[in-house]
Amino acid sequence: MLLHTLEETVSQYLFVVLFAPLFAGILANLKARVESRKGPSILQPYYDIAKLIRKETVIPRASGNIFKYSPYLIFGIYSLIALIIPVLIPDPVFFTASADFLGGAILFSLAAFVKMLSAMDSGNSYSVMGVSRAMSFNFLSEGTLITVFFAVSLMTGTNSPYVTNHFLIANGISVVSLDHVFSTLAFAMLFLYETGKIPVESSGLMELGMIDEGLVYEYSGKLLAISKWSSYMKQCLLGSVLLNVFLVPWGLYSTGYAFLMDFPVMLAKWIFLITVVVIVETTLAKLRLFRIMDYLAVAFTFSILFLIFSEVTL
Amino acid sequence: MTLIQTGIYLIAALVTIVAFYIQGEEFIRSMVRAQVVQSVLIAAISFIIGIIEASVDFFILGVLIIILRGFLISYFLERRIPGKSSIKYEPNVNLAYYFLLDLVFIVISVFIIFYVVFSSFRVSGVLAGTEVLVFPLALFFQGLFLIASRKSTFTQIIGYVEEENGLVLFAIFLLPVPLIIEASVFLDVLALVVITSIVVVEKQTHEKMEELKG
Repeated sequence: MLLHTLEETVSQYLFVVLFAPLFAGILANLKARVESRKGPSILQPYYDIAKLIRKETVIPRASGNIFKYSPYLIFGIYSLIALIIPVLIPDPVFFTASADFLGGAILFSLAAFVKMLSAMDSGNSYSVMGVSRAMSFNFLSEGTLITVFFAVSLMTGTNSPYVTNHFLIANGISVVSLDHVFSTLAFAMLFLYETGKIPVESSGLMELGMIDEGLVYEYSGKLLAISKWSSYMKQCLLGSVLLNVFLVPWGLYSTGYAFLMDFPVMLAKWIFLITVVVIVETTLAKLRLFRIMDYLAVAFTFSILFLIFSEVTL
Repeated sequence: MTLIQTGIYLIAALVTIVAFYIQGEEFIRSMVRAQVVQSVLIAAISFIIGIIEASVDFFILGVLIIILRGFLISYFLERRIPGKSSIKYEPNVNLAYYFLLDLVFIVISVFIIFYVVFSSFRVSGVLAGTEVLVFPLALFFQGLFLIASRKSTFTQIIGYVEEENGLVLFAIFLLPVPLIIEASVFLDVLALVVITSIVVVEKQTHEKMEELKG
């Protein structure tokens, strides 16, 4: 039993660490194909990471220790989150008991906080501009995140994402209940914001519109590789929560070696999510910077209004 | 909660979302069309309840809503939208600010009224045991907030129509109001919209407090 849980824990962790860049690669490739370009290989993120690890790391003279060590810290935080939420295995594994849903949200915020601290510590004015932008939008996105998790906990009477997953599988009708539908919508909008997708942010180092990219502006070499890897992991974690707790909770098993089937199932689910993201990215235009507040206000309104409605009306 | 109830809840929630869309919209024509969508959604709720309760009244009500609100009111309003850009477009709509203020406004007003006045009311029929009355109340207050927050006369008329939509939804959910009363309310609204659409040509915006000056 202990060995079985250990196997599940290791496979869940390896899934997040090793497959996260692949999802980013598939997304970039598929998007290029939709736009009639040949596009990079789906393994391009791995090549990027390998190349950056071999390169020289330049550290600004004005920066301090926080700048140097925070990429490792952020990687560690996302590694812990990978064991807390149902990314691959629908039953608790080792370290799952270390935090609940809200704890997971706080860990995400902690990683964002450390990232901002490191950007502030770099001494680059572009990074500080990125921090000020991120901070001015985050007050709405964090509020939405907390409210979405409230909606989930109120629906199931618990704060564990694993119980939510099982609850949704057992009660099919709750998948179309008011608070679930609108918290899913709000969380999907938040996913696009947090991972820097098109209506909010276009990827690449365009100074005019960058928010999250601005924070790692001063990093290079190995530190940049770890930062990039962490952001792929963040995308993988948030996307897996969106899939397993909100959109499609079905299809995951943990009895015996059936958990090995979870790999292809999760891959299929991710291809579904990537298709949705590609459709959104190629049909919508990027919002102007001051319009991002409107986007997040809509997500916030969805999450809080229907949370209150469902509490009053049920 | 049954599947039918969940479905009605989701449609009622869509009605509220359309009201939010109207609140954040800058173009008058889009607002009028969103009002059409809202009315059609309310008619859909009426049809669903009509099918389940096997009542012809709800069907007639649904058809009346579609003809009067979905078609005639929007026709009269759209005909009056002039080509001048200052009228067909209302500038300085701060969406984030309006949404958050609207949210606070409806949460406070609806829930105070709901708990003080309507908590003892019980809905009968297909929606028995649910507190579905929150949705029409929210729609009513969203209409009020739209009137209060905007300057354009067109927007204020749409706010009024939205308020009436709230009342119709309320009547559909709460109890079967005699059809003749419903029909006369609809015709009243239509007549008022026709009259106000003439007034619109005279006075296109309302500034704060100007009616109160001596």
